[in-house]
Order: sequence, then structure tokens, then C-alpha cells
Amino acid sequence: MQNVDAIGSGIPVYPKDNFLTNGFTLKSWLLTKDHKRIAIMYLITISLFFMAGGLYASAIRLELLTPETDLLTSATYNKVFTQHGILMIFFFLIPSIPAVLGNFLLPIMIGAKDLALPRINLLSLYIYWVGGILTVYALLQGGVDTGWTFYTPYSTTFSNSYVMAVGLGIFINGFSSILTGLNFIVTVHTMRAPGMTWFRLPLFVWAQYATSLVMILGTPVVAITVLLLAIERTVGVGIFDPAIGGDPILFQHMFWFYSHPAVYIMVLPGMGVVSELISNFSRKKIFGYEFIAFSSIAIAVFGFLVWGHHMFVSGQSMYAGLVFSFLTMVVAVPSAIKMFNWTATLYKGSISFDTPMLYGLGFMGLFLIGGLTGLFLGSIGLTVYLTDTYFVVAHFHYVMVGGQVIAYLGGLHYWWPKMTGRMYSEFWGKISAMLVFIGFNLTFFPQFILGYQGMPRRYASYPAELQVLNIFSTAGASVLAVGFIMPLVYLTHSLFFGKPAGDNPWMLPGLEWRTTSPPPTENFVTTPVVTWEAYEFGEESGLDLEGARRREQVSTVV
Amino acid sequence: MATHSDTHHEEFHYHAPGLQHQFEDMKQQEESVSIGMWMFLVQEIMFFGGLFTAYLVFRSRFPLAFAEASNHLNAFWGGLNTLVLIVSSLTMALAVYFAQKGNRNMQVIMIILTMIFGATFLGVKVIEYTDKYNTGLVPVTGWNKKTKKADAEHAAEPAKKDQAFAIPLIETRAEASEAAGDHSAPYINPKGEFQWNSGRHVFDYAIEKEKSGKPYLTAAERVGYFSNGEFDPNKYRDKIRIFYYIYFVMTGLHALHMIIGLGLMAWLLWAAYRGTFSADYFAPVEMSGLYWHFVDIVWIFLFPLLYLLGRHFLGAH
Repeated sequence: MQNVDAIGSGIPVYPKDNFLTNGFTLKSWLLTKDHKRIAIMYLITISLFFMAGGLYASAIRLELLTPETDLLTSATYNKVFTQHGILMIFFFLIPSIPAVLGNFLLPIMIGAKDLALPRINLLSLYIYWVGGILTVYALLQGGVDTGWTFYTPYSTTFSNSYVMAVGLGIFINGFSSILTGLNFIVTVHTMRAPGMTWFRLPLFVWAQYATSLVMILGTPVVAITVLLLAIERTVGVGIFDPAIGGDPILFQHMFWFYSHPAVYIMVLPGMGVVSELISNFSRKKIFGYEFIAFSSIAIAVFGFLVWGHHMFVSGQSMYAGLVFSFLTMVVAVPSAIKMFNWTATLYKGSISFDTPMLYGLGFMGLFLIGGLTGLFLGSIGLTVYLTDTYFVVAHFHYVMVGGQVIAYLGGLHYWWPKMTGRMYSEFWGKISAMLVFIGFNLTFFPQFILGYQGMPRRYASYPAELQVLNIFSTAGASVLAVGFIMPLVYLTHSLFFGKPAGDNPWMLPGLEWRTTSPPPTENFVTTPVVTWEAYEFGEESGLDLEGARRREQVSTVV
Repeated sequence: MATHSDTHHEEFHYHAPGLQHQFEDMKQQEESVSIGMWMFLVQEIMFFGGLFTAYLVFRSRFPLAFAEASNHLNAFWGGLNTLVLIVSSLTMALAVYFAQKGNRNMQVIMIILTMIFGATFLGVKVIEYTDKYNTGLVPVTGWNKKTKKADAEHAAEPAKKDQAFAIPLIETRAEASEAAGDHSAPYINPKGEFQWNSGRHVFDYAIEKEKSGKPYLTAAERVGYFSNGEFDPNKYRDKIRIFYYIYFVMTGLHALHMIIGLGLMAWLLWAAYRGTFSADYFAPVEMSGLYWHFVDIVWIFLFPLLYLLGRHFLGAH
């Protein structure tokens, strides 16, 4: 509590209520316009979807424990991996960081009272719920077996599963993502506090802004694509089925035009979180702020030009393949810029290995592997051999789980004391961060080798020679599951028994740490005036870090 | 900005009409709403953009089939609708203007006029869709008018078309029966199927051109219209059906946007009638106007792409 005095520009008085205690009725939650409450509701919902997707993942790994098709039939297996993909991508990964952490923190980080369009924000949550319920209904009815990519003409003509309901669920859900992106863009443009210039924005905000651009430009395209697919499936006439004059490759183009940029929706916010973690837990101004900020924008722009690398062997023109291969190499550059800048930030930093930082460093290692193997797959010669093998599976899990999920967990731990006002157990936090890292590598690194040895994806059986590596992978998945379940337990525990975190438990200069924990409904009692640069750890920023640290050491010793 | 909050300041905030709690002042609110609306329109452009892409891909591959099919849309109705929408854009812009001036009565009148034009557009669309339904040009089996032989024999005179814009082509079964007279070959469509009757005027025109030594067909057409080197009317018909599929999806989604626009107008009308808008607070009118203009512009692109395409082939005959 004494930190508030140490932070000169913090709020002088305590508000009566924080956002959690400002109303306890169900109505006060369901009809709230408070971005923080909406974020909490998102957090709960996406956690449920994550668990559901995780159950499907467990089923996949258990089936692949043995070479034979024994636990699941092939048809069931098709549904299981499809639903794992659909739940994880559309209902967990895409909303994870933007809708939970972004929603909660973006207005606070720029010193605003709320997002610019709070009712639109609530609407996006409801749209997400409707899309989610429709999808869950379809899964309970019997599910879908097309793969999450819905390739035509299988999905329009041949698949005998609930393609329509799931497609509609994804179509509806897309608008939730569009509205969130729209809201973030408007908010960053118009709601910044006095003195919060564009180049004082935390890099998390820059990353959210870039993500929002992708959401607005990409998601409508997949919406119309899925809509066309649904119409074609219903009425039997359309533009995707070659039997009636249509073009299945056009579907792939339109699908990947969104779904490749969607990969950046799934990793850019993670990069934003990691920029925060690396700089703050090194207690050092981030190296190359402008480069990291603009590399986010560059990824958003170039991300729209590389969709064809999903289609190297699907019959697109060879010349298009060459261009897409080249552009794929180009899009790696801004990601590399970020990696180098993070590394440079760590250099001679005063690094503390708190739980969030363990996730942040884990991200750097895993994303490095995920990103570099992406270059293997982007090179047009090698990809012919690796397409549709477990090498691809391992690659995108390294980016999606090793990137976004790790960053999401890191961010959740980092801002948990701000969101709830409680501190979790650092001991268990560190254990689980390490379990996740070890379990993840044990699960997915063997899959690189499996893919290189030629094991195709999306099959329930495989040659017996490949069993050893598959056993490694399934064993790793068990460790990973434990690592994911532990935070659920100790974070929930901390809600009731955790020690009060104080306003600024990590001793950091960011604007979000200058209000109370949990923040009041209006975020700041008086509108803050920003007079410092981002990640400024000097004395002049008003943070008596050394003094605060001394006090903390004394209290730990006691 | 509000660095020190005295009570007068707060009260001023409280009384500003339509100011939401999250904003400091009206200027910030207007900017936010405006950027938000433009971002929404950006996503709308991408949404329709997917359709336009699909159109362009098939149009560039099969220009002959698309021209052939396009000649069966009624350019008179399409042109009339274009005019109606352009005028509605004018009345919409005037509604915004009068809202800014705080002129309630003119505002209400302009919104009503806009709604009338919007409804006219949809009415014309109903006429056009009905015509396609009656003549069997809806691409989906079962979604056309089902006529049995007995119905056809007792049917009244077929509707007269406006000769100035009518297309002198016999390409659908309905046209074929009309040309032959009721008694010899009545138009029947018991299952409500797509009624393209292997008409190929534009294709023949292209073949004539090819004979003069100039390549006229696209590479896709050389594959897409032929089976074993022979012209395949069924494959040609598939491409024509794709045109109608795209026509119905695009104009259908556009009409849906018009209906949403009319809903917005109804809400605006109610608010304007109650005198909600003034020179200080007119953002909802302005934003609805942006939406309305956007929907108009989509039609400005749809009309030439769908209706006017390849009408010069008629002049050549």
C-alpha cells in the first residue's frame, strides 16, 4: 500500500469500490458496460473452451499411443481432431489475449475510463456466446469431421456431419472478433490520456492495434467464405464444387486469405505480452521500441500477402508458389526483429525470474523453434516433402501453444494481481511454468522427427516403427496437462486465500500499476497525465524502485 | 483536458446531450463514433470484397457465359434502382444537413423520403426476383415456380415485357415456349428446376470471331465449355448457373443491408420526430448516413457488373 506514495503520479485517494465490488447481482454482470467485467466473463468462457479443446487433444494423444486404430474409430478420430482445432482456434486462441487481457488492460494502459464503445464490447461477448453455444450444440449432436479448414468439396457435398451448424457458429463468432478489433482501434485513436502519445504506448497496445487491423480486414472474408460454403451445402449450387463448375481452390484461397492472417491474430498479442514481460522483468527500457512497434504493423501487413504457402501442393500456379515462398521469407523478418530486440533488452538487464518471466523466456525459446521451422515449410522445395506430415503439426503447435498459450499464461500471471487484487503462490507458479515448458517440448519436439520420418497428420493409425516417439509425445501431453491444470487450481485458490497484492507488486512504471488493484470501475479516480516514456525505470519517473525493493526484502526476511 | 475536476466541470459533462460516461467531451465522442463507423465500413468492404473476388475470378475465366447470363437480367429495372438509390443518397445527405442545422421538420421529411426510396428499391427487387422465379432462373432446384402441364395449358397470357429493354434471345425454356406459342410447347417446370435451355448466342458470336483467326476464348473456356472437343451445353449451363448464384447471393446480401438500413431509418425517424438531434448532437444521423451511402455504393458497383455486362453482344446482332 505504501507504494502509492512512492509513485508520485498515482492516484491520491482510494475509491470506495473496485470493479468487482461495484454491484453483486447477476444483472450487474450481464448488462455491464465495464470492460473489466466483460474481460472476466471472457476469461471464464474461454477457459471452458480451452478445457473442452484440451479433452479432445487428450483423446488424440491417447489414440496415438498405439499404432493400431483401437481407442477411437477412424471416423470418430476425424471428428476429434476437427473439433480440437475448431474449439482451440476459433473459441480459445483468437479471443484469448485480445478479449481477456486486451479488454481488461488496453483502456487502463492508455489511461482511459473504458473502451470507446462499451456497448459494442458487451455485444461482442454476447455474439461470442451465441456462436459458442451453436458450435457446442453441433458438437453434442454428433460433431463435424472436415478438419478445421472445411476444405471443399468434402465439406459442401460429401461430409455427413454437422458442417452447417458449426459453420454458422464460426460465422457468428467472427463478428465478435471484428467488433473487438474495431473497438480497440477506435480506443487507441481517441481515448489516450493527456500526454500518452503514440510512442509512449506500451508495446502490448501496439500489438493489440496491429492484431485489430488483421481482425477487421481478415475476419469478414472468412465470414463470407463460410457463408458461401453454407449456402452451397444447403442448396446444392455454388462456386466451390468442381462437379457443378465450381473451383475448390478458390475456397482455399478465400479461406487462407483470412486464416493465414488469423495465425497472426493468434501470435501478435502474445508478442505484445512478451514485450511487456521481457522489458519489465529485466527492469530495463526495451531495446528498439520503434522497431518492435512497427514490426507488429509490418507483420499485420505482410501477413496478408503469404496465404498461398498453405497451398503449395494444392494446385496453385507454380509462379504464385514462388512469390508466396519469397514473401513467407519476408514476413519472418519482423518476427526476427522482435526476437533480436528482446534478446538485446535482456542483455545487462536486472532479470528476475518470477513466474511471468519464466513464461516470457519460454516463449522466446519456443517461438524461435516455431518460427524457424516455419521457414523450412515456407521454402518451396522442402515443403513438398513435409506437407501434411507431423512436421507441420509440430510447427504450428510451437507457434500457437509455444507462442500464444505460453504468452497468455505469462500475461495472466503477470496481471493477475492487478485483475483480482490477490497474489498467487509463486512457488506453484514457477513449478507449473516449468512443467508446461518441459511437457510442451516433450509432446511436440518428437513430432518434428515423426514428420520428418513421414508420419502423415490426420490419421488414427501409423506404422509400428514410429511408436516410440509417439509414446514420448503422449507422455509429454500428460505432463503438459498437469502444467495447465495447476494454474487453474492455484489461481482459483488465490482468489480466496491469496495475500493481497498491493497496487504495484512488481514495482513497475506502467500506467496500469498506478491505479488500485483491482481497479475501480472508472479505472482512475482522476484522469492521469502521462509525463514519462514507456518502460522508464529511472528515478525521475517517480518510482522509488530501490526503496521499494529494500522494503520488500525486509518484509520477506521478517 | 480534464486534469482537475471541479464540480462545475462535472455538471457540464452531465448535461451534455448524448455524452457517454467514458468520454471527456463531445469532440472525443464524435471522433470515436466516426472512426468506429469507418472501421465498420472497412470490414463491410472486405465482406463484400470476398464476393466481388469470387465474381471476378469466374468472370475473368468465363466471360462469355457471364455475358450470356447477364443479358437475362432486366437493365431497365436495374437502372431504375440505381437512380432510386442515388436520389435516396441525396435525401440522406440532406437529412444529415438538416440535422446539423437543427431543423426538425425537414429532417423528418428527408428521412421519410429516404425510406420511401429505399422501399422502392426493395419493391423493384421483389419484381425482379419474381420474374426470375416465374421464368425459372433461380439457380436452385425447387426454388422456381413449379408449373405442371395442366397449369401451363390453362395459364393466362404470358406477361408482356417492355419491348425497349426486352432481350430478343431465346435461351431459357420459358422463352422458348413463349416464342413458339402456348399450344405447341407449353412451358412446364414440375420440379422448379433451373430453366436454361442451352442458349448460346454469345458463345456462337465468339466462335464466329475465332474463325477470323483471332483467339477469343479464354484458356479456362477452352476447357470449361467442352467435352471431348465438342461444345457441351451442360457445362456451359453450369457456368451460367454460377452467374445466377453469384447474382442472387450478392443482390440478396445487398438487399439484406438495405433492410437493415431501413430499420436504422425507422429508428432515426422516431428519434428525429422526438427532437433528439440538434446542432450539438447529430452523430447518429451522420453515422446512419455513412452506412446508407455505403450500401448505395455497393449497388453502384453491382449494377454494371451484373446487368450491363456484355450487352454489346446484342448490338452486334
